[in-house]
Amino acid sequence: MISLGLIPLFPLLGCIILGAIAVISSGSKKGPAEGFVGTLAVLFPALSFAGVALLSFNMPEGGIRETLCNWIDIPMFRVDIGFLFDGLSRIMLLFVTGIGSLIALYSIGYMHGDRGFARYFAYINLFLFSMIVLVLSDNLLLTFLGWEGVGLCSYLLIGFWNKDLKNCQAANKAFIVNRVGDIGFLLGMLFLVTVGGSAILNYDVLSNFISMVINGNHVEIVVPVLSVAGILFFIGCTGKSAQIPLLTWLPDAMAGPTPVSALIHAATMVTSGVYLLARLGSMFALLPVVLDIIVVVGMLTAFWAAVAGLFQNDIKKVLAYSTISQLGYMFMASGVCAFDASIFHVFTHAFFKAALFLGAGAVIHALAGEQDMRKMGGLLKKTPVTACVMIFAFLAIVGFPGFAGFWSKDLILERLFMNCSMFIPGFTIFGHEVPNIPLNGVVYAVGLATAVITAVYMGRLIILTFFGSYRGSKESEEHIHEAPAVMLIPMVILAFGAVFAGYLWADSIGIKFFAETLAPVVGAAQAYNTPAVTAHLNPVVFAVLGTVAALLGMFIAYKIYAKARIPAAKGSSAPEGGKATWTFLFDSIHKYVGIIPVNVLAWICDVVVDKVLAAAQWTLGAIATILGDGVASFQVRKVRVQIALSILGLIALMVVVLLTGGTL
Amino acid sequence: MLLHLLVLAPFVAAILMVMTSKEDAKSSSRLAILMGIGFTAMSVALIAGGSVSTEAIEWFQIPGCKGPVYYYLTSHGLASWMVFLSSGLSLVALISARGITCRSYRNFAIGIFSLMGAMNGTFLAADAVLFFFFFEAMVIPAAVLIAGFGGKDRMKAAMTFAIYTLVGSAPMMVALWYVLTVADNSMLISFAVAVQGLPEGTQNVLLGCFMLAFLVKTPIFPFHGWQAITYAEAPAPLSAILTGAMSKAGVFGFIVWVLPIFPLSMNAVSGMMWLGLFTAVYGALMALRATDGKKLLAFSSMGHLGLAVAGVFSLSEAMLPAVLVLLVAHGISAGAQFYLMGIAERMTGTRELDQLGGLSSKNPVFSTLFGFAGVMALAVPGTAGFVGEFSVLLALWDMGPLPALVAGFTLILSAAYMLRFIQKVIFGKAAREYEEGRRTSPLEGFSIAVMLVLLLVFGFHPAFITNSLVEPEATENPAAAQVLNNAALNNGEAPMTEEEIHQLDSTLAAAGFKDDERASIIAQMKGDNSSEAVTKSENSVKETSDAE
Amino acid sequence: MELQAIYVQILALVIFAIGLIVAVSRRNVFFVLMGVELALNAVNLSFVGFAKTLPNDMSIVGQVVPLFSIAVAAAEACVGLAMVILIFRNRESVDADTYSNMKG
Repeated sequence: MISLGLIPLFPLLGCIILGAIAVISSGSKKGPAEGFVGTLAVLFPALSFAGVALLSFNMPEGGIRETLCNWIDIPMFRVDIGFLFDGLSRIMLLFVTGIGSLIALYSIGYMHGDRGFARYFAYINLFLFSMIVLVLSDNLLLTFLGWEGVGLCSYLLIGFWNKDLKNCQAANKAFIVNRVGDIGFLLGMLFLVTVGGSAILNYDVLSNFISMVINGNHVEIVVPVLSVAGILFFIGCTGKSAQIPLLTWLPDAMAGPTPVSALIHAATMVTSGVYLLARLGSMFALLPVVLDIIVVVGMLTAFWAAVAGLFQNDIKKVLAYSTISQLGYMFMASGVCAFDASIFHVFTHAFFKAALFLGAGAVIHALAGEQDMRKMGGLLKKTPVTACVMIFAFLAIVGFPGFAGFWSKDLILERLFMNCSMFIPGFTIFGHEVPNIPLNGVVYAVGLATAVITAVYMGRLIILTFFGSYRGSKESEEHIHEAPAVMLIPMVILAFGAVFAGYLWADSIGIKFFAETLAPVVGAAQAYNTPAVTAHLNPVVFAVLGTVAALLGMFIAYKIYAKARIPAAKGSSAPEGGKATWTFLFDSIHKYVGIIPVNVLAWICDVVVDKVLAAAQWTLGAIATILGDGVASFQVRKVRVQIALSILGLIALMVVVLLTGGTL
Repeated sequence: MLLHLLVLAPFVAAILMVMTSKEDAKSSSRLAILMGIGFTAMSVALIAGGSVSTEAIEWFQIPGCKGPVYYYLTSHGLASWMVFLSSGLSLVALISARGITCRSYRNFAIGIFSLMGAMNGTFLAADAVLFFFFFEAMVIPAAVLIAGFGGKDRMKAAMTFAIYTLVGSAPMMVALWYVLTVADNSMLISFAVAVQGLPEGTQNVLLGCFMLAFLVKTPIFPFHGWQAITYAEAPAPLSAILTGAMSKAGVFGFIVWVLPIFPLSMNAVSGMMWLGLFTAVYGALMALRATDGKKLLAFSSMGHLGLAVAGVFSLSEAMLPAVLVLLVAHGISAGAQFYLMGIAERMTGTRELDQLGGLSSKNPVFSTLFGFAGVMALAVPGTAGFVGEFSVLLALWDMGPLPALVAGFTLILSAAYMLRFIQKVIFGKAAREYEEGRRTSPLEGFSIAVMLVLLLVFGFHPAFITNSLVEPEATENPAAAQVLNNAALNNGEAPMTEEEIHQLDSTLAAAGFKDDERASIIAQMKGDNSSEAVTKSENSVKETSDAE
Repeated sequence: MELQAIYVQILALVIFAIGLIVAVSRRNVFFVLMGVELALNAVNLSFVGFAKTLPNDMSIVGQVVPLFSIAVAAAEACVGLAMVILIFRNRESVDADTYSNMKG
């Protein structure tokens, strides 16, 4: 059996070696050999994947725990570097390393000829290291290391083409917005430490603590403190997973290279918030208020982002908003304690969204960097493989029966209806007693509506890109070409995943493999919250409703966009008018709530306070100078007079001493 | 022996440098760097060797005082790490200065060595007068170096620096003299005993005088007037030493010369903590608006040190290791950033952020170092800065959630200004045409890379730093023991129980218990001496509400 | 007739006063220097005069001090003259009142 430490070690080694190559070769004109660098870049994630696969097959029921060494040891606080490999981290690691390796392979083709080839792969390896540490760690602080580490890599990769300051600004935005969330995470940890000392940061200790609390009936005592901690952790999650209100960075993050968008901003990093909720599931299960907040936030995010996705012209922006919307689904599921369903959707989403992004990357590659969908069209014939991959992934994301997204989304919607215990408390109006109004129907309806919109905007993307006739310039049409094999192979593999990944947990046909592997981790948490709807409902009803939603959306998309004349693209691809208001709603909220107040404060400090202080100092200095000048005027120019004065002074002193007899 | 060498040998080295050739910068720089390596090695040996102290040699007698002044050096974990910072940063400064001041390298090295000797003396002195002597002595070589090698406004900067810091510590001299007249000798313990016996009003005045010196040196708002111009105008290697090692003398003074001597009231403690936090926010906001790269770094330093001071006055049990890690991390990372900014200034001939840019394509090695140094200053986990800031946050948490929240806010701001800084300097396109100056030399790049690697090593294994503070009771060093126990001394009761009560109390408060209910619960916990416990818990309740 | 010690002291006082007055009143720097020398020698004289009042075996102590101070005065005169010459070369003037560079 291999040590758990090896899994993050491989990408770390890769990062160090590739980073060294990048730095050493930076002076040369040509750069390092791409074949060599590319091989190394894929080798280390692949080794890591192999290690995870090996461990997965031999994993004992309770998981593997391993403590490497002590990390921080100060009075009141002691944390170890330790790893925990259980059902949850197994699933996460398998797709993180697996998809990571595939995307590294794809990047060899995509980044061909770029001057920062080695640097790019060093970052990718560093990202995988951080992501593995995030998932594999056995305590919150080490998870936080990975948490900020992936944020840092995201920053580095969004700003990868740093000659363009727009990319750098997008990168800064991503890091700073994430930092806001991270502070939530940090303070959440401090709250937990207050409750149970530093040991409680360990996941095992935390779940033991929770079960102790439940068994001892102390739930009411700890809930207030834990609720605050839970909300703080959730703020951390909203930052990393781009939920309301910290979601503005993700669309901007599309400035990075497309494989990065696929890996970091779709498949892995942004789902770490969902992972954290599942990991702390036993804690969140106790906190109904926090859960309700999560459901509401997830619901609003899913709906808002889906509508915003309708307005985008940039192919990557559509996918970015779709990612936010899908993450909203996952949070809704977490909010009703359906952690296994949310992780299942993370899993299937990783496949189809990565396939969509890679497909989009192939399209952009084929069109030599064009991202505006209004200048695309009719690519089905020119790039058939890419088109097929994207269409399969499209069917998966809209939830077409049999495809991966169908199973996971269906499951989430079902759980939303069954488990959601939100209600408007009963009140009295005009003497009438109004009982509690359950809201599970509302949540479910919004989820279903979002599914319809999803199908509409995704249908729009597919139609605008692959059907109809080419709308770009004539010269560019001749250069359109299918991507090289090194890019196509990962896409095809991911497309397979997009089709079949759902069969790991096909509830309707009785396969529950996925649920069973997660049960040891999240089972207790899910058992704590009883379903709100006790009556048995046939799951087929939900499946049918979901299918109808997907078909309806596709039909609408076909009706609107298949025949419609697409307005010629002019200027930027950013939406305008009312569409812009909707799209940039949270950007402007951030501006007025965060950026402007801070700038005003900074202005006050700089222009008012500092100047006042400077003036005070200047005044003191001036007083000293004036006094000095006054005293200096006693200093006459003649040496002889001064000597005479000092002699007089001496005589005066002597006289005084004589008169007083030396006893002053 | 090691202590004597570290304090006196730098002055000998300075005299040796006087004898080297003025014209031949190469040979003198070789000698200087060799000696610098020697001092750094000695400081590492000092850390490894644990707490030691020299014989107390009688130095001189101040008229009107009871006891003599000693030449007495002692090292404890905190001091030896500060000595490491001062000698290590001096070494890198000597390396880095080769590119900047090749004309009169010898004179620069003389200044650096005397500065290093004075700083080592400050950190190692166990005698108050000796400490003050070195504390003042630091200013002179630094001011001379600024006046000799600085930028355009160097005379103004040197005068501002010298006058501001000397005036700041003048009241301390008077206070020192006053305490000497009542204390048995000038050792820390007798100072503490003497101050305990004084009336409260006198104590407060003395405290104010001591505080002022350290507030100016650190610097803490509103005494930061000298800092920005000094750091900006000083030659970059000197700025690195000033922020990396010399400014630490202020925080060091708070820990070693204020906390053990003066019985602080709760108001003073929380006031200082809030002042530190305010400085942290203020520094970050000023850095956000700075247009001069070195000023930005200066304000960033101010912010970090404000956080450190806030951490010191949290008086938590975790305070000392937390602050020490923060100081070491900040010393190394801010030092590296100043060196790199100096190189950027050398290459482009400006330090205005709007005039810089595009260095990443022109000089990739430099910008890799620059980018990583910037990222490490952000306290990303895995770097020493994170361990420091997180544990300081933990310490602040003892004073209530609000201070920790403010500290968290500064972390966000630091991300904002540091990323802007990185973007302006190395990303984008060059803002103007210029003749390119000297690039990073391999030795320079290597030394900065070593600093960055050190940050990573301390980030993953902070025990290197924190272990030097363990088992202070076992040593015969009264000062260190005093330092570590000061929290206990100040509160006048065992810190752990107070801590537990506080924790329990806040838990209960969050759970919605009323004040009197909580008090009675805590009284039950304390058992027989219940009435006392009740009053205490009430006090702690009040303190919490005050803090909030 | 035995010389009375007080006469020696009076003489020393007179010479000292003359020296002081010369040093303060004359503008020529050489005269200032001479005045200072005169005052110094008056002190020596005073020492010797006091030494006379002591018993013979101890009076030698009082006579040694003037010897020292004569030696020091010689050195001082050398340095003083050298400085004056240097200043004179710089300033082209022996007027002490023009030496006012040190004024704050």
